[in-house]
Amino acid sequence: MLTRVILLVCLALFAAAPTAAQQAPIKIGAILPLTGSGASYGVWMKGGTEIAAEEINAAGGIAGHKLEVIYEDHAADASKAVNAMRRLVEVEKVPFTLTSYSAITLAVQPIGVQSKVVMMNGGGQSDSLANKDYLYNNIPVVSNEVDVLCDWLTKEKKLKAVVMIVANDEAGRNAAKSFRARFTADGGKVLGEELVALDGNDFRAQLAKLKARGGDLLFVSSYGRNVAIIADQAREIGIRIPLAATSWVLIPEVIHAKGTEGMFVTRLPFDAGSPFARKFKERYGTDAGFFAVQYYSATKIFATAAAAAMKQNGGKLDGDAIKGAIESVRTFDTIAGKLVFQPNHAALMDIEAGVLKGGKVQVEKLIKASH
Amino acid sequence: MAAYLAHYLVMVGIYTILALSLNLLIGYSGIFSLAHAAIYGIGAYASALVALKLGLGFWGGLVVAGAVGAFASALVAIPSLRVAGDYYIVASFGLQTVILTVFINWTSLTNGHAGLPGIPRPTVLGYVIDNPFKYVVLAAALAGFTYAVCHRLTHSAFGRTLRAIREDEIAAQATGKNVVLVKIVITSISSALGALAGSLYAHYITYINPTSFTLEESIFIASLVILGGTERLAGPMVGAFILLAVPEALKFLAIPDAVAAPMRQIIYGGLLILFMFVRPEGILGRARPGAKQ
Amino acid sequence: MDLLLQLLATGLVVGSLYALCALGWGLIYGTTLHFHVAHGAVFSLAAYFAYVGQKLLHLPLAVAVVAAILAAAAAGLLIDLLLYQQLERRGAFRTSLFIASLGLLILTENLLAIVFTPDPMRMDIGVLDTSLIIGPVFVTYLHVLTVVLAIGGYLALVVFLKRSRWGQAIRAVSSSPEMARTVGIDLKRVHLLTYAIGSALAAPAGILVAMDVGAEPFRGTRFVLLASVAVIMGGIGSIPGAMLGGLFLGLLENVGIWQLPSEWQSAISFGVFLLFIVLRPRGFFGRKVQSAEL
Repeated sequence: MLTRVILLVCLALFAAAPTAAQQAPIKIGAILPLTGSGASYGVWMKGGTEIAAEEINAAGGIAGHKLEVIYEDHAADASKAVNAMRRLVEVEKVPFTLTSYSAITLAVQPIGVQSKVVMMNGGGQSDSLANKDYLYNNIPVVSNEVDVLCDWLTKEKKLKAVVMIVANDEAGRNAAKSFRARFTADGGKVLGEELVALDGNDFRAQLAKLKARGGDLLFVSSYGRNVAIIADQAREIGIRIPLAATSWVLIPEVIHAKGTEGMFVTRLPFDAGSPFARKFKERYGTDAGFFAVQYYSATKIFATAAAAAMKQNGGKLDGDAIKGAIESVRTFDTIAGKLVFQPNHAALMDIEAGVLKGGKVQVEKLIKASH
Repeated sequence: MAAYLAHYLVMVGIYTILALSLNLLIGYSGIFSLAHAAIYGIGAYASALVALKLGLGFWGGLVVAGAVGAFASALVAIPSLRVAGDYYIVASFGLQTVILTVFINWTSLTNGHAGLPGIPRPTVLGYVIDNPFKYVVLAAALAGFTYAVCHRLTHSAFGRTLRAIREDEIAAQATGKNVVLVKIVITSISSALGALAGSLYAHYITYINPTSFTLEESIFIASLVILGGTERLAGPMVGAFILLAVPEALKFLAIPDAVAAPMRQIIYGGLLILFMFVRPEGILGRARPGAKQ
Repeated sequence: MDLLLQLLATGLVVGSLYALCALGWGLIYGTTLHFHVAHGAVFSLAAYFAYVGQKLLHLPLAVAVVAAILAAAAAGLLIDLLLYQQLERRGAFRTSLFIASLGLLILTENLLAIVFTPDPMRMDIGVLDTSLIIGPVFVTYLHVLTVVLAIGGYLALVVFLKRSRWGQAIRAVSSSPEMARTVGIDLKRVHLLTYAIGSALAAPAGILVAMDVGAEPFRGTRFVLLASVAVIMGGIGSIPGAMLGGLFLGLLENVGIWQLPSEWQSAISFGVFLLFIVLRPRGFFGRKVQSAEL
């Protein structure tokens, strides 16, 4: 009698075990600018990811597994990012990680290739990010925006001569290169270019040199906090010509700076009235921005791809399976519309061009993405 | 867990090479250089570039790094022939700054801040060194080689000459020692070895950029030498073991990285002050006879 | 030409900041022979004292600034009293003092980084932010104030060293500690005073930079480095040398990039310095250099 009871209890425990013990969570990485001059982006990127992960888990996870995101801070320092990537890959054994920033992504990409870990970049825009193995960019490369900006500035605003102030890193230099190419192709001239440190705070000498070159436009090929400082110091030193920049500068500090009033910008689609934006504002107490949506979308894209991959692979999940799933699914539904990964692993989006006035972008032109 | 330990040991190996080579200057020659991170970086870049652009592989990179390091040592040596002591310290600050600026701005060569990714892993007799455990063996071998070179150097007539110059350069000159030649030789060897460490680092992390070779890094390497003890060769190695354990220990306490990085520096700074009070000769050092003012 | 004038103006402003730091550091080094790198910590602390005074304690700007200078002077004095003098009592070598000073610099700046984060902490400078246009040159009132304070600080120091009793004591110790002790000067007191004055000269520099672009924890290291470069270029032991060295360095940094690419700014300045070291180690006004031992 006792033996039967014990056997029954054991059987019951065995039956209960698979459901009582949690299925192993699916871990992914997120290498983001949580501190430093780009911390504003980090707030958006982390927030978007967090909300997405929560919604995914609330709906049952990915094929029953909980999604767990491991956040790492790169603080705009690629060495930190590389160490973080190695930790994620060797110790946490993630099959997938979100990344950000051009130079950062380029630095960690070889590690992803070697360890067969898929990376998705939602923020970096350097043209060099296209056509890289295991790397997908759910954001257009910067030359798409630069092309729209140059065409608009030369044809509609009739501007002919530009001086450029450029962040001395991959993204800044790459955008400047694209701008120079398109602006001259559109018939304009580049009168001068000065390099500045991304985390610097005194650009007067470089701005003075640019002022001496003349021109009717100052292109700011930089991002993060220093754009606000560049704009203010440019005005302080007597530069009166208009500024121009692409969408990545649109963080609160820059939008509300004195010096950026009247700046020409391109903008990627962002609906400030969407339920996501409201949810973000409620939770984090600050307005959402384009990059918040980006990382929300990227996380959701991962979930879709991972679910498809596990179905194909009998419940196993690794980098190659995820890669295969992304390639075969290719078109993903996001809250910003359909996102199609092009053969070069980047995405196309509608681009708006407008003027920054009173803390808001007044859109004057819309170029639709041609898929 | 074991991977963490292996990583720690590889870094100890790299920093042992750096500290031993710097000790040749600080401990044995009285040349207080705070430009060693720049030499480290020169080795790293030289090795990475010949590997990436000329396909030379790790061992070729190692040799090139050593050679380039030895040449670059002239930068370290020349000011030391003119000034010493406090003047030299400031000169080495200057040197460190200039070289770092070159790393950052000579973008056509070094790719600037973006750095050099995808540096190939070393191969030994056909085996690829691709996990931390294999790197531990490689690092230990190179560290052992460095130790042997330093040992030979310091336990020889040359070593005695070095010490004589450190104690009183003018007197050494008076007894016929060729001070200029000695300084050139010792800085060459020190820089060549420091550059070797750079090569190993580059092929281990497979990515380098200028932020690994700053003044802060130079100060850290000097701390290893000072805290470990300058008189004995094993001193810098002990320094490396202990000081590198600090960031690992902090990781266990799950402190966010933004706080952990400055906290590590606070501990280093505090240790430097503490040691100057209780044990200025370092852990393994011998107390210098007669306190000079 | 306009560009050159603008760069000269910027160079003068930056040079004034370096000069203030150099005057302080040079005074301390010349009198005590301590390689006081923790001078950089005092520089950084002064900036944060002012920030805290204005933004957290809501003091009027002028009050916050004066209080910060006094606090920084006290900090410098305490560093000598509690660190260097204690080490000297234990018979420490000069190297040990330098290393302890380095440790203190690292410790202080990283502590500030934890407490205030590494991001720049900006202050409200009101009317000082207004642009002033002098011909083709654009500066702000803050920049003008910087130059005025540097000149004022220099003159005050020179008068103090020449005319006052304590100033003469400092000069005596500076030229020969042994003689000074023999005539009954209390070396320890003189050292403390030197540290207080030296720190009170560095403090306005730190505060002015903070008022311009915000207080940052690691800026002090760069400034104390440049201060030591300025003092060597000016000649160790020379007060006019330190002033000139600082101004020269600031001008070099800015005019140096007039024709050369600006990202090479540091390399140009330090490159010139290294040439100096090799060709004329005694600097503008210094005595001939023996192998100065550490």
